[in-house]
Amino acid sequence: MNPEYYEFFCSVKIISGKKALSNLPYEMGLLGAGNAMIITDQGVVGAGLLEHVKAAFDGATQKIGVVFDQTPIDSSVKVVNELAALYREKKCDCVVAVGGGSCLDTAKGVNIVISEGNGDLMAFQGMDRLTAAPKPFIAIPTTAGTGSEVTAAAVIADTERGVKMPFISQKLYPHVALLDPRMTLTMPPRITAATGMDALTHALEAYYGIQKNPVSDSFSLTAIRLINRYLITAVKNGADEQARMAMANASLCAGIAFSNSMVGIVHALAHATGGCCHVPHGVANTIYLPWGMEFNLEKRHEIIAELAPYFGVAAGGDPRAAASGVIRAVRDMRRELNAICKLPLTLKDAGVDESKLEHIAKSSLDDGSITYNPEEVTFEDALAILKKAWDKE
Amino acid sequence: MDGLLSLIKRQGSSGGKKAVASVALLALGSTFEMVSEHSSELKKEIADWQDGVVMLLGVFPDGPAMSVKKENGGIRFLGMGMCDADLKVLFKNLDSAMMVLTGQMGAHTAFAQCRAVVYGNLGAGMQLSRALNIVQKFILPSFMLNRTFKRPPVFSSDDLLLKARVMATLAPRMISGVMRRQCL
Ligand SMILES: NC(=O)c1ccc[n+]([C@@H]2O[C@H](COP(=O)([O-])OP(=O)(O)OC[C@H]3O[C@@H](n4cnc5c(N)ncnc54)[C@H](O)[C@@H]3O)[C@@H](O)[C@H]2O)c1
Ligand SMILES: [Fe+2]
Repeated sequence: MNPEYYEFFCSVKIISGKKALSNLPYEMGLLGAGNAMIITDQGVVGAGLLEHVKAAFDGATQKIGVVFDQTPIDSSVKVVNELAALYREKKCDCVVAVGGGSCLDTAKGVNIVISEGNGDLMAFQGMDRLTAAPKPFIAIPTTAGTGSEVTAAAVIADTERGVKMPFISQKLYPHVALLDPRMTLTMPPRITAATGMDALTHALEAYYGIQKNPVSDSFSLTAIRLINRYLITAVKNGADEQARMAMANASLCAGIAFSNSMVGIVHALAHATGGCCHVPHGVANTIYLPWGMEFNLEKRHEIIAELAPYFGVAAGGDPRAAASGVIRAVRDMRRELNAICKLPLTLKDAGVDESKLEHIAKSSLDDGSITYNPEEVTFEDALAILKKAWDKE
Repeated sequence: MDGLLSLIKRQGSSGGKKAVASVALLALGSTFEMVSEHSSELKKEIADWQDGVVMLLGVFPDGPAMSVKKENGGIRFLGMGMCDADLKVLFKNLDSAMMVLTGQMGAHTAFAQCRAVVYGNLGAGMQLSRALNIVQKFILPSFMLNRTFKRPPVFSSDDLLLKARVMATLAPRMISGVMRRQCL
């Protein structure tokens, strides 16, 4: 399908593979930086991953100015502002995020405040609001899911006002993404599964969404192929470096795809569910993915059918049958993950109270992702999906 | 709308496009006010908007633009021109604005083609976009709605009556709209 018009952008230098992390000081030097602020969280520190980062500075002229290891899940405006003050106090000249989407998005928020010189993040909400050149920013993902290391988006929670603030700007791209197999080896099976399903959702929603284009399609397809081949292995055997690296690259490719082609109803529902019921982002996407695909089947079966070979489904013949086969394959993958690591497949299993469904449906309509969903979504449509996802797999 | 399109074709220049975009925005703003008084669908849609909130739709960087304010449960059309709104939805250029305002392209397609930006909370941007879709239902002819909306809108008998009234009163409302001065 040839789009009438599209735009595509990705400015990130990607360094991926064995001992990639050792390049950190060198890359800082190229960016004119010498004193890093490391932003990470307790899970990452507990897994011993910070030691790899510190070791990378052995013998280098660049150094670590300060380490912040208290990043909350889903980030927060308060933490972002505190970190911006710390950055200035410690005279840092570079932000290095080490963690999953929560750490990476926090670092993006910090970079907004320090680059724009304005502590009020609210002023930059929306699209293309940033004008100042961003400070040197290096992302080291430790999950394989969000792809935040190559996206123009950040979501930061304002816990006082109880809202999640989305920011979209090409100035939010990190300068460098460092993917090192050592950094994802320690991810527990269920986080590996949930984040991997987040990446699959990015690739799929970007591929069948209304903003699809030939460039992002190729990234989606690479991600879908790698995830089908390696996700189960990475969950079953976390020590398998090849599977881990494949998933890290898949997540990155899916990130490039959706940063340009956006996502749809699955993400809109997942964001709304995360906001009110604190269901982890990847878990929520796992629950909604087959329902969201089914919802779009009428309009997108021909496009979804193109994915049949990637899911081991017979291609050719009736596209509707092939597309349904793809959705069945997604359900099979979820069931297998559930059997291995108890990844929840229903809202009920994820601890969501049935009384929350109407609230989730309503707030999903205010999520920008809905715009890019092929099918129109009304409150009634969203609620119908939620009722199915509540107790059915 | 066909009249508008032929006007653009005849004029071609950015001045002509600006004039047409202004007329279309004026029609949209004044119709927004009127429909908010009578359509239960629109009333329901804007029920959660904070009283006093100002929303602007226009063209980057300095217009044309129109803005509306939530007041006493309804919408007041404030007038034309850029102002300090709580939320701005801006087309990146006049050509992109023209495509949407003259019913050649749906708002969702404009966003998917990166032709417009939101300044402010994206959730509020979604609310404005949904409300404007309802308003467009009363301005654009059905063949355009069927072509540009993801799902063609449904008209109740009340809606059909309201659409007839909107059309009949469009010209005088637009003249009174021109008289209104800038928001705030
Ligand atoms: N900016 C974007 O483009 C984008 C895209 C999708 C999601 N997100 C956001 O990302 C967040 C979710 O990120 P996430 O799914 O990566 O999870 P996360 O960053 O919240 O991390 C989940 C948990 O895993 C732990 N962990 C991370 N890496 C580990 C490792 N290697 N070993 C052991 N434990 C590890 C963390 O400490 C944390 O407790 C959400 O806030 C979501 O909104 C952002
Ligand atoms: Fe996601």
